Amino acid sequence: MTRNTRTPHSASRNALRAAIASFILLGGMAAAQQRGGTLTVGLGYDIDTLNVYSTGFLGDVQAAVVEGLVAPDAKASYVPVLATQVPTVRNGGIKIAADGKSMVVTYRLRPGVKWSDGVPMTSADVKFTWETVKNPKFIAESKDGSEDIASIDTPNATTVVVNYKRVAPDFMSTLFTFGIFPKHTLEGKDLNTDTYNEKPLGTGPFMVKEFRRGQYVILERNPYYWRKDSKGVQLPYLDGMVFKIIPDSNTLVTQLRTGEVQMAYGVPYSQVTQLDGVPGLRIVKNSVLSWQHLDFNLKTIDAFKDPNVRKAFAYAINKSAISKALGGYPTPINTVVVPVFSYTNPAVPKYDYNLARAQQLLDAAGWKVGADGIRVKDGKRMSFKIMAQAGRSTDEDAEQVIIASLKQAGIELQPDNKSGVAFRDARYKGNYDLFYGGWITSADPTYSVFYGSKGVNNGQGYASGKIDTLLDRAESTLDPVQRTAALRDFQTELMTDLPSIPVTSNPSMIAITEKLGGFVPNPTNMTNFVNSSGWYLNK
Amino acid sequence: MNATHLLKRLVGTLPLLLGVSLLLFGVLHLAPGGPLDVYADNPSVSPEALAQMRTAFGLDQPLPVQYVSWVTAFFTGEWGYSIRTARPVTQEIVERIGPTLILGGTAFVLSLLIALPLGIVSAVRRYSGIDYLITFLSFLGVSMPVFWLALMLQLLFAVQWRVLPSAGIQTIGSDSVLDLIHHLILPACILAFASVAGWSRYMRSSMVEVLGQDYVRTARAKGLTTGRVVIHHALRNALIPIITVVALDFATILSGAVITETIFAWPGIGRLFIESMNGRDYPVLMALMMAGSLALILSNLLADLAYAAVDPRIRYE
Repeated sequence: MTRNTRTPHSASRNALRAAIASFILLGGMAAAQQRGGTLTVGLGYDIDTLNVYSTGFLGDVQAAVVEGLVAPDAKASYVPVLATQVPTVRNGGIKIAADGKSMVVTYRLRPGVKWSDGVPMTSADVKFTWETVKNPKFIAESKDGSEDIASIDTPNATTVVVNYKRVAPDFMSTLFTFGIFPKHTLEGKDLNTDTYNEKPLGTGPFMVKEFRRGQYVILERNPYYWRKDSKGVQLPYLDGMVFKIIPDSNTLVTQLRTGEVQMAYGVPYSQVTQLDGVPGLRIVKNSVLSWQHLDFNLKTIDAFKDPNVRKAFAYAINKSAISKALGGYPTPINTVVVPVFSYTNPAVPKYDYNLARAQQLLDAAGWKVGADGIRVKDGKRMSFKIMAQAGRSTDEDAEQVIIASLKQAGIELQPDNKSGVAFRDARYKGNYDLFYGGWITSADPTYSVFYGSKGVNNGQGYASGKIDTLLDRAESTLDPVQRTAALRDFQTELMTDLPSIPVTSNPSMIAITEKLGGFVPNPTNMTNFVNSSGWYLNK
Repeated sequence: MNATHLLKRLVGTLPLLLGVSLLLFGVLHLAPGGPLDVYADNPSVSPEALAQMRTAFGLDQPLPVQYVSWVTAFFTGEWGYSIRTARPVTQEIVERIGPTLILGGTAFVLSLLIALPLGIVSAVRRYSGIDYLITFLSFLGVSMPVFWLALMLQLLFAVQWRVLPSAGIQTIGSDSVLDLIHHLILPACILAFASVAGWSRYMRSSMVEVLGQDYVRTARAKGLTTGRVVIHHALRNALIPIITVVALDFATILSGAVITETIFAWPGIGRLFIESMNGRDYPVLMALMMAGSLALILSNLLADLAYAAVDPRIRYE
């Protein structure tokens, strides 16, 4: 385990203890990694399909079964999996056309990799994956990137040459990272209804033995798995994994306490202290790639069109009080790029809690305190509706703190929380005054979907020519220096304009049995299970 | 009731179901959002992919067209495919109906076996210590939230004493009936608790009323034992209101117990409904609600039959 000296945010004492514990565990147990044992994992949602490209959830189970060419590691940077190296411009894996308008990506596949039925995996499978995902008849949510590719050449069994129509710096966060389809079992099948959706065939450390809907998935060791440990022992160490579906978070915690499940992620903050005291369990803090934010509706609310009003809101919100209300686990942030990323900008304009400053700004903007303590301008009270996702207790608690904070500055907020599809619909269309929520991204976030004037997730109606230009620059270059510079400028510009106030970055709390060794949390959308071959259980 | 009457009643349910389906379809589509909005959580789903899916599911058609094509398919037995899982709706439901019937059925029988004697005892021994105790317990049962009771019992039986599993329908890999019963105890008892509380109150008040009737006094005057009076003369007459209440609850068995199933990770219809509702999975939702409506209509019919069986004065022409 390498120590991450870059991590700027304060880890809680628990996480630190866990990190040290796992450090000792990994160091001390290097000689004692043993094969065998089954890990039981509790999942908080009902799996719809085990097809990585069509599931509506992040594929936890799938990540242990299906592999991609590359995968993000614990620090959200890509490492090779079925490819022997991550293609970059420097290593010749990416070649940009002379006109700078298209690119060719070459993957060298790992020789000797077999599907879990023993058939060799080749470049033909990679090409087949692209053709399948691109096929309009295949109903899937994750088709991203398939339209960017013009053609794929497979000069031999271990070489894949992908010809891109454009320079796509985010190419690794989509298509071939999600997973590769087996051509020999899927060719000519209708993937919408095929049994693949219940029993996917992959090259990963485990394979699906049984999937009972609404109950569990049993995974067992893939006898043909390609990865070996440093001593040449074939991985995975575990005989298998069982994923139990437990939709109620209280029951999930109960099952952790009784030992009926040995691992669960996304444990509610309020239960963490309780679980930390359970013998045999440890808590690991996973700084996932998500950030909480308060968005202004710039389409319909005139008051929010004044940048000084937005800044006053930012000064009036006590971010550390929010963190405290959530058990101290969230980290207050100043920019929308989470601290894990190297291009996060520590020098953005900051709005530390300063009530006097907020009041000054509002006074200067013409919002005077009225008789009932709420500010008024031109006969309009400073009273808005704030939307959060109903039933998401961490968000609802944070919302309460925000309401209380802003009350101090003479701003009245009324909660207007919505759930499920109604919530998403409102968020998409901007049917709110203020919206508090969180975004989670892949290891290669495309920020234009949130803040670009045509962004699909830009429900608030924010439009800035400067931001569009900067994001366009960042999202069309493969040069890391240029990309970092553009993204840093984007953050400075966004935080000056402040259409959205970044509030905290909320970690995901994982409870695991102390017997499990080799576990490293993964902050990306490829889930914690993306490389589970090195996990082992101590007897 | 003769066969012709039964047939007439059954045929009469068809237009009723059709009307119900129109209402359900309308309400469902009036609710904000649609089945594809689940993908909105994922910023990597492109608008093109969404448009493609909309066409594939026929969601781009005008509502009346969608309704007509759904209704004709539904009544010809073609229930379509789930949007969420891409599996046939019938398969989704068939898989979930077993666990729901096991849980709901057990709780139902358990409730009947406990509620009726409790109500009778309470009525016969009116204003005695035992009546007050039963009354107290049933108010407790009616007012106690299911989820709270469930959490407390999980804590006691699974965490503290470790005698029962906290959730699930079976130990993974085990298909024994004993194991199933082991898993069934907690959820079935909790589900039964609320019904027992309600039903025993109905039983008590209905019994109290009947016990005050002249014919009961006559029976007592003839010198019959209390037992005979209660069982032979009073009970049958007191059952009619109970049948109404129980029949209504009977229909809900098929709809699943949403809260209990969720807390106990029980793979039943209730959970399928919630997941489908959250995803606006129209085909599954419509099928589930239609099945629920049919169950309600049929249980009303059953109640009518039961009235006639219990009380020979009731006849259907």
